[in-house]
Amino acid sequence: MIESTIKTGFTGAEFDLFLESRSEPDWLLERRRESWDRFETLSWPSRQDEEWIRTDIRLFKLDRFSLPIESSTACEPDTPLLSEGVELAGQSISVNSQSALCTQSDSLASQGVLFGSLSELLQEHGELVRELLSRRSLDAGSDRFAALNDACWSGGHLLYVPRGVALKEPIHLHSIIADGGVDLAQTMIVLEDGASATVLAEMTSQGDGQPGLHCGSLEMMLGAGANLRYINLQNWSDTTWHFARHHATLGQDASLQWTSAAMGSRLSKVNQHVTLAGKGANCQVNGVLFTEGKQHLSYHTLQHHKAPGCKSDFLYKSALQDRSRTVWRGMIKVDPAGQQTDGYQRNDNLLLSDKARADSIPGLEIEADDVRCTHGSTSSQVDEEMIFYATCRGLTRGEAVRLIVSGFFQQIFDRISIDSVRDALAEAIARRVREFE
Amino acid sequence: MSDFIQVATTSDIPDPGTMVLELEEKILVLVHLDGQYYCLDDVCTHDGGPLADGSLEGCELICPRHGARFDVRTGEALTMPATEATSVHEVKVDGDDLFVRIVET
Repeated sequence: MIESTIKTGFTGAEFDLFLESRSEPDWLLERRRESWDRFETLSWPSRQDEEWIRTDIRLFKLDRFSLPIESSTACEPDTPLLSEGVELAGQSISVNSQSALCTQSDSLASQGVLFGSLSELLQEHGELVRELLSRRSLDAGSDRFAALNDACWSGGHLLYVPRGVALKEPIHLHSIIADGGVDLAQTMIVLEDGASATVLAEMTSQGDGQPGLHCGSLEMMLGAGANLRYINLQNWSDTTWHFARHHATLGQDASLQWTSAAMGSRLSKVNQHVTLAGKGANCQVNGVLFTEGKQHLSYHTLQHHKAPGCKSDFLYKSALQDRSRTVWRGMIKVDPAGQQTDGYQRNDNLLLSDKARADSIPGLEIEADDVRCTHGSTSSQVDEEMIFYATCRGLTRGEAVRLIVSGFFQQIFDRISIDSVRDALAEAIARRVREFE
Repeated sequence: MSDFIQVATTSDIPDPGTMVLELEEKILVLVHLDGQYYCLDDVCTHDGGPLADGSLEGCELICPRHGARFDVRTGEALTMPATEATSVHEVKVDGDDLFVRIVET
């Protein structure tokens, strides 16, 4: 029969219960209530909105999910991919928006680093968390998903690195959705002036294959001269809905290398923004999208040059199987103050099926007159001559396609300096490449 | 192949008229035209937009975004910018009830 309602977990009454379960300071409860009011006022994004015109969410039913009020589902986390074989400075694991485990080396605390679940650190370091939240650039009113996340966030991770502190070993963040749960994380990574860190973030599903929901946000704030390497693997199950807003702000001469691999989810809609706010800031963003079945992944990137002499380099590569679809919409925006900007954006798509579809929409919006901004996009199928060449040398067709797909992504893998992480990403993709006729 | 599932009654849709429904994780548009019922994916094959908001002219359903026309009987794309047919599904009338069976392609 036509759709039926299973849960009504995001009602005002449930929200009140959620707040009662939180034991949070008044300022935060007030902030949550304001965002809840916005959530109730706003409509779901319209199909007329340019940002949503290619992403159909009519089958998304929020009332099939519940607020994360009860304690975490008992769950033994699967072995993560990214951290395998890596010596870590700390690891934070959440299950269904509840902190499940947090470990860290002794040296972190002695250096003044704060790390762990944002919800738990709020209890011990309320004023600092309040100050950090007040510095966020993400607009909780930008759409209904953003308001929902700001009102109902739970769990999430926080890494705060004080001025001048360099973390030698990576941090690992692992978010798990188990048995059709929700992940409403707010994650913050804050590097004060001159600090540096490497963060490996991973999202996985476990359990019975029920639809899950991630409605999350990520805020990265880099002070002057800070240096962050952030590597993310979104590997949800293909029944998970994924709505996220990611934002990084770079101070003077700060440097960010951001690698984002997305392979999971039924439907993803991600806004990924980088603001180059300080003179001489530099960011490199690498995206790997690999889709199959009827997956739909939509990425909207913005490289916003607010200060002079900054450099941004965005490279997104997608390989699509079956009837899957990707949407990439990128924008380089240069403010009048952004003279001597060097901006680049590129999206390459490899269509592994004649039913797959990739929409690629690069854009420029430039208000300064002394800049270099370029963009490009390519879409193609696997070259039959390359397959013929490989099969002539003894490879099967399937092996040849795998080799070609690996080569397609190699440009991005080469930018990852941690060998084991590079291998893990390559392996995760190679596992999914099937044989094609 | 899936079973026929009851989705509406004949009085739910005027003639001519359309109705959007959700069935087996698909969004479909049910068309009532000259006493006959047809069912298509609510997807314009040009850009993936919804067809149901468009107008019905004879047996042609017109995409509201860019004007592509689809034959409601066969799903065939009749004009640019669409070049591929949209999927059609089986419809059965039993008394006052309308049944649809999803045809996977």
